[in-house]
Amino acid sequence: MSDIIASPSTRRLARERGIDIDAVAKRTGRQTIAPEDLNEKSGSPSGYTSYWDVDHSQYGPVTTEPLSRFALVTARNLAAAQALIPAVTHHDRADVSAVEQLRQSWKNDAASQGVKLTALAFHVTALARCLRHFPRFNASLSRDGTSLTLKTYVHIGIAVDTPSGLMVPVIRDADQKGLWQIAAEIIDLATRASARKIGGGEMGGASMTITSLGGIGGTAFTPIVNPPEVAILGITRTQTETVWDGDTPRPVPMVPLDLSYDHRVINGADAARFMSHYCALIADPRNLLI
Amino acid sequence: MDNTIDFLVIGAGPGGYACAFRAADLGRDVTIVDAREALGGVCLNEGCIPSKALLHAAEVIGEARHMSGWGITFGAPKIDLDALRAKKDSIVGHLTGGLGAIAGRRKVKTRQGTARFSGPDTVTIDGKTLGFKQAVIAVGSSPITLPGWPEDPRIWDSTAALELRAIPERLAIVGGGIIGLEMATIYSALGSDVTVIELADGLAAGADPQAVALLRTALEDDGITIHTATQVQTVKAAKTALTLACSGAFTGEIQADAIIQSVGRRANGGQIDAQAAGLTVTAQGVITADTAGQTAQPNIFAIGDVTGNPMLAHRATHQGHIAAEVACGHRAALDTALIPSVAYTNPELAWVGLTEAQAKAEGHTIKTSSFPWAASGRNLASGGGDGLTKLVYDPATNRLLGATIIGRHAGELLSELTLAMEMGATLEDIALTVHAHPTLSETTAFAAERALGTLTDL
Repeated sequence: MSDIIASPSTRRLARERGIDIDAVAKRTGRQTIAPEDLNEKSGSPSGYTSYWDVDHSQYGPVTTEPLSRFALVTARNLAAAQALIPAVTHHDRADVSAVEQLRQSWKNDAASQGVKLTALAFHVTALARCLRHFPRFNASLSRDGTSLTLKTYVHIGIAVDTPSGLMVPVIRDADQKGLWQIAAEIIDLATRASARKIGGGEMGGASMTITSLGGIGGTAFTPIVNPPEVAILGITRTQTETVWDGDTPRPVPMVPLDLSYDHRVINGADAARFMSHYCALIADPRNLLI
Repeated sequence: MDNTIDFLVIGAGPGGYACAFRAADLGRDVTIVDAREALGGVCLNEGCIPSKALLHAAEVIGEARHMSGWGITFGAPKIDLDALRAKKDSIVGHLTGGLGAIAGRRKVKTRQGTARFSGPDTVTIDGKTLGFKQAVIAVGSSPITLPGWPEDPRIWDSTAALELRAIPERLAIVGGGIIGLEMATIYSALGSDVTVIELADGLAAGADPQAVALLRTALEDDGITIHTATQVQTVKAAKTALTLACSGAFTGEIQADAIIQSVGRRANGGQIDAQAAGLTVTAQGVITADTAGQTAQPNIFAIGDVTGNPMLAHRATHQGHIAAEVACGHRAALDTALIPSVAYTNPELAWVGLTEAQAKAEGHTIKTSSFPWAASGRNLASGGGDGLTKLVYDPATNRLLGATIIGRHAGELLSELTLAMEMGATLEDIALTVHAHPTLSETTAFAAERALGTLTDL
């Protein structure tokens, strides 16, 4: 017999609707399943409201399209993360002059290796180093919130915007890989994600996720933590800002960084220290060697 | 005070001893006091258990007689009343002795005597005053005696009837409730010519009338005369016979060699000077307690029959456990309305939850579904007569709201339905649960299937 407790009538209802009761139990984190749990609405932890009970056509012409199964899963997970995690977003900026200089000087080498050395590759490398330094950011809470699992590996998830929706392939053991390899893997994973040719084993299990809008725009945003991870790093477009060296103004390219974190695990001071360390690694990439 | 009792239980019936043992298990130093020598109260000594022993004898006599229809003839039974009484007493003795041993293992002190309150934290037990930290009133109930009747040793209450003094040739039973009908079943089987007189329009008040009608037919088939809607006006005792003058649906005189009064039971709250402890006793002898067993006095609890209806041992037992837990600082309460009722007649009548009439009176929208036992293979193959399994349910949700079973072992069969209701089961839950074939319990699944339109056995 299944470990899940559901009455015979509930089990029959699930079968009639083609719903896997074990999956419902896993999704809801429950061992006892009632008929109400088989309704789609119950997937939303915010419960039922009438906000969406609107006939939009009364206000003008509309068309309706169903969401893909993929989008439904994403929506449910994001809603749960937003509802269940007391998240705070910490904003910072890093000087990317040195990183940009390195990318320029290595451009030909990269081209000859067939690799595009993106700024994102530097961020993945820096984040991997940072996670080694701040182990509580490389952790997951238990379901009941009573214990913290600390990970000795460093895997970095990359949020990829694909035509079919948001996907997060993972670069495994990013702390043990060189810049070139990471750069190559980012391109490979992003390309395959867009083509929906990513295996299930290439997603999940990340230490932290990076979500970068740098190529598109924006000055800041508040990413949603991707559970069971406890933090996510958002990146928007680098802007040249004026920095004063004494009386001398100097134009410096700065990348805006937004760290959303689970406040149950990470305190504000930890987040500030984490980001200071991170910004220092980016500002002087020589630190990445130490 | 030196003589202060940590946890005092007054009354050693099913509520009292359950409470005492639970409290002992929770680490309390428990004293239980009762006027009887043996533990067990009315239930074990002069109620549930002795009546069941005699009902078993009655059942065997009835079964043996019915076997003539199967080509097996035993002849008329020879009844050795002294041996039958001794057997009944030995069963009671075995069980009360067992209780004594259980009490001993738990180091529960037992004390024979009559306890009365002398203050909010003191009792007097046969003249000796003792203090207590917490007390539980579990003094039960007594048979109601009708006023204006003559004093006569041939007029019995249920206690006297179970003493099995004699088998009267003509027995009148005044009161057609569960106890009266059980007595009718016993004495009819033992050979008495039994007449039951009931004031109300129906027997077994509160039970489903459809089921009661089947019971009445079965009892009448066994030779019992039943007068409902009939009042006993006077009882005259003469040397040759007791004469009951009746009016109502039956008007006339009934001659009897003995009468059993079974017109109900009265709570014993008035027998313990509860006022001295600051408690109020109602005109019915009831000491009011909440679902946690708490009375108006924070250190005094009340459980069982003394707290009013329904006066049933299994209710008292649960109340006893809860009172002990609450007294020991736990949060507990009797959080259910489902107290099963069973008449151990032949056939048995058992019900739980709402009956059809009750549900309608309370304004519920309900439907019923029943399965007649005439279509039950197991029932027919084991010589059972007419019977019925009837379910009351909410048609909007198919949730079970009540159940009545009449037929052999109905009391045993009822527990499935009680659990089903406690778990919020629907007709589908019952129908989809595989019941063994051939069994009487199948009739429960069949009744559910019938409501769902999936029954193939009718």
